[in-house]
Amino acid sequence: MLAAAALLPGSWNLAGIAQANGAATGQKFIVVLDAAHGGDDGGGQVGAANGGTAVAEKNITLALSVRLRSLLTARGIAVVTTREGNVSLASDARAQIANRATANSGGGAACFSLHASESGTGVHIFVSSLAPAATGRFLPWKTAQSAFVARSLKLAGTINAALEHTSIDGGGANSGAASGSGPIPATLGRATLPGVDSMTCPAVAIEMAPIRGTDRKVITDVTDPDYQTQLVEALAAAILEWKTDLETESPKAGGSQP
Amino acid sequence: MIPRYQKIVVLVLLVVSIAMAAVLVRLRERAHDRLLKGEDLAPTSAPAVAPAVQASLVVANDQDGTMITESQSLPLPADGEARARALIEKLLELYAEPGSTHPVPGVPRAVLQVFLMPQPQTQGKSDAPSGGQLAVVDLAGDFADGHPSGIQTEALTIESICSTLRANLPQVAEVRFLVDGQPRATLAGHADLTRTYLTLETTSPDTAAGATP
Repeated sequence: MLAAAALLPGSWNLAGIAQANGAATGQKFIVVLDAAHGGDDGGGQVGAANGGTAVAEKNITLALSVRLRSLLTARGIAVVTTREGNVSLASDARAQIANRATANSGGGAACFSLHASESGTGVHIFVSSLAPAATGRFLPWKTAQSAFVARSLKLAGTINAALEHTSIDGGGANSGAASGSGPIPATLGRATLPGVDSMTCPAVAIEMAPIRGTDRKVITDVTDPDYQTQLVEALAAAILEWKTDLETESPKAGGSQP
Repeated sequence: MIPRYQKIVVLVLLVVSIAMAAVLVRLRERAHDRLLKGEDLAPTSAPAVAPAVQASLVVANDQDGTMITESQSLPLPADGEARARALIEKLLELYAEPGSTHPVPGVPRAVLQVFLMPQPQTQGKSDAPSGGQLAVVDLAGDFADGHPSGIQTEALTIESICSTLRANLPQVAEVRFLVDGQPRATLAGHADLTRTYLTLETTSPDTAAGATP
């Protein structure tokens, strides 16, 4: 049963998300993967820090989305993706897909907006900067995420914990390790995120950045297949733990959303 | 045969036209004289350099997603808008320097203008003026186009600008951004430029956009 229905942009119609539900139905746990950018919007250029060929951010995010979808599907988790190819999608359209998919997910949900950047180091986990608000039958479109911020922060914590169990070359550089391998460094932050701010599900934005040493030189770039694999596996592990936590918290309701 | 009254009308119109032309020529000459006189009155010496004052620049660090406050002695103009622009220009100059903790390519005039205006009344609040100000920061298109793309880097730029304004101009409660005088959806693909940023809610050095857990 839907607990909170975000309104479609510019409308105050009871229909919409509450009744519209495409791929996801029933009491399943749903994961929404939003590969950022696409089509004419290539995003940033990444992967050239060590003299490699620059790759458009949209390609990295799509690769991450496809790999994560495969991992989750193999583990029996229902996945909805906002795009499977090189297509343009507005941020509102991404939020609509996520909200439709998770509208009737009595088994709980988790939404991910996947990004890549050449700036910073490690994985940046962002939660909407909206102030937490009480849920209601209607939520303003642009701030619908405010009713889910508390759960989004918890989801971000679960992802951060999962990343601590990874091991990659150059990892742990921020922890004082000069070289060798260690966990993927992660930072948690809050930001205004068009699209995510309109999602009615626990939602985080994951930004994959190169792993840098203390001298800020790139050790492992975002195009590194091992780095991508480690990140995707950590996210899959975090999602499984999130799902288990929801089932433990509310076995009958299946972790219904706030 | 032309009637007499028509001859008189044509004659009157001709006289009026000549008179109006003479008046217009005279007015033009007087305007030209005023312009020349104004030029003569223009100052011939450069304005005095503003005295250096202590300013706080809130500088971002990409490595851990935090921000720190740096105190610098800067010659800042007394006018609020000019002071705000000078502060942001200085902050962006730091980002453009080699070895910057938050590298952002510099452009000659990254901040076109900063406007300070009374904070607009919010619906549901009292009509009494809050005393706060809204700063509208007009960034150059070249700066926005050259800014690195990414959630963290863009958020840090926005938040460090807001925090720097707040640290030096406490009356600035809200900040909006324009690029080349026009609204723009994002800075470089991620940070939302359509919203109004509240300086109290944006990052202070204690609450950065990202923090290493």
